[in-house]
Amino acid sequence: MSFDLGFAFHALLLIASALPTTFMLTFVSTGCGLLIGIVVALVRLNNVRVVRHLAAFYVSFIRGTPVLMHLFLVYFGLPVLIDEVCSWFGAAGVSVRIPLVWFVLTAFSLTAGAYLSEVVRSGIAAVDRGQLEAAYAVGMTTSQAYRRIVLPQALAASLPNLANIVVGMLHGSTLAFTLTVVEIFGKTQLVAAQGWNYLESFAAAALLYWGLTVLIENIAAGLERRINRFAKGGVA
Amino acid sequence: MGRRFDAAYVLEFLWRLLEYFQITMYIVAASFLLGMLVGFLVALPRLYRIPVLDRCSAVYVSFFRGTPILIQLFLIYFGLPEWAGRVGLNLDRVPALAFVILTYALNTGAFVSEAIRAGVGSVDRGQVEAAYSVGMSSYQAFTRIVLPQALAVSLPVLANLVIGGLKDSSLAFTVGVMEMTGRARTLGVATQHFIEAYIALSVIYYVVSLVLEHGFRLLEKRMLRYEPHLAGRGKRG
Repeated sequence: MSFDLGFAFHALLLIASALPTTFMLTFVSTGCGLLIGIVVALVRLNNVRVVRHLAAFYVSFIRGTPVLMHLFLVYFGLPVLIDEVCSWFGAAGVSVRIPLVWFVLTAFSLTAGAYLSEVVRSGIAAVDRGQLEAAYAVGMTTSQAYRRIVLPQALAASLPNLANIVVGMLHGSTLAFTLTVVEIFGKTQLVAAQGWNYLESFAAAALLYWGLTVLIENIAAGLERRINRFAKGGVA
Repeated sequence: MGRRFDAAYVLEFLWRLLEYFQITMYIVAASFLLGMLVGFLVALPRLYRIPVLDRCSAVYVSFFRGTPILIQLFLIYFGLPEWAGRVGLNLDRVPALAFVILTYALNTGAFVSEAIRAGVGSVDRGQVEAAYSVGMSSYQAFTRIVLPQALAVSLPVLANLVIGGLKDSSLAFTVGVMEMTGRARTLGVATQHFIEAYIALSVIYYVVSLVLEHGFRLLEKRMLRYEPHLAGRGKRG
């Protein structure tokens, strides 16, 4: 009844052409976010003076404001900042030469970084203190102990949370359309506007996101089983 | 990219954005309350393992958790009237705000149902048996004994949902609802001082988030006052 299945399928194929952009936005920002998150988490866990307060504010601010604000603040604010700094060195009009998508990636990375820092923090907290001490006991430096002993276990412990963030970033990447980046959602709007088939187009896009989300969740569950193969301790 | 940064605008925009504060809060409150109702109804078939219906509610939850809220919003705002039109119903006069609240309520409902399920699961089975032993019906046992405890336990999750709803409300402008974010855009366009408008807007969202977070923490402390071992189970935000 009045649902054009043919058009929905046609729309799905058209929309799928924007998959690479969505993937790029999701995974680049999660990757950069993980780096930011690890640094911020380490700063806060080790109580680095002054910087610790900055890190705490960064996390609290990002978590307390919509992703859309991060996007707009970076998109409208960063060029002003860049041009100001560049003008000290006599260079003008630098910001207009930076591709738009870089600003989007910067904003999403900052978003992911704050959320991931909390994930990393709870992951590190889940690793027994004795592990670090044992690493020191066999003569590892702090950096070695973290890289070889603590962080791998922390990542394993925080895998379910990590998957949640990836899904969150996948869903959040739809906001890039507000800055005219054509990812899945932007493409859907174009397809829908052409044929005035909003229902079918958005149903197709929803199906695509739904499938991707279920896929990510399954991959994470599989990875978790694999990583926790050797974890047979008393802790659940 | 607009005019030079002028801090005076931030202050001015702050006041002008606050005029739209109540619409944002209206969206948040209405969709959360409706979402609680939806979530409760959706959780029931799965809690009591009602055949067929429990599968439906599982699919419902999976769909609303598995798709971006923006897609849901557009599906309902554009799709529903289109579909209604094809079966002979005219929804043109329904305000965009109604679609926004409907979407957010359905979305929140999916998350609330999961929270309620987890909360009910955490209530000790002995509580239900004790309720039966003093002669309560299963309805009484659920509403008087299980549900209050389940709600108290899932309060941190519900608090997160309210704060999440506040942040999601910033998307309502995409379908033309004039709330704070929509207003900030028009202020930015009118004055060409975009960054000042968004700084002011971010400050408002941030402060409201902090206040909500703090308020819920106090509420949680109060609701768990007879169960000190559960209180203060870490931060949320």
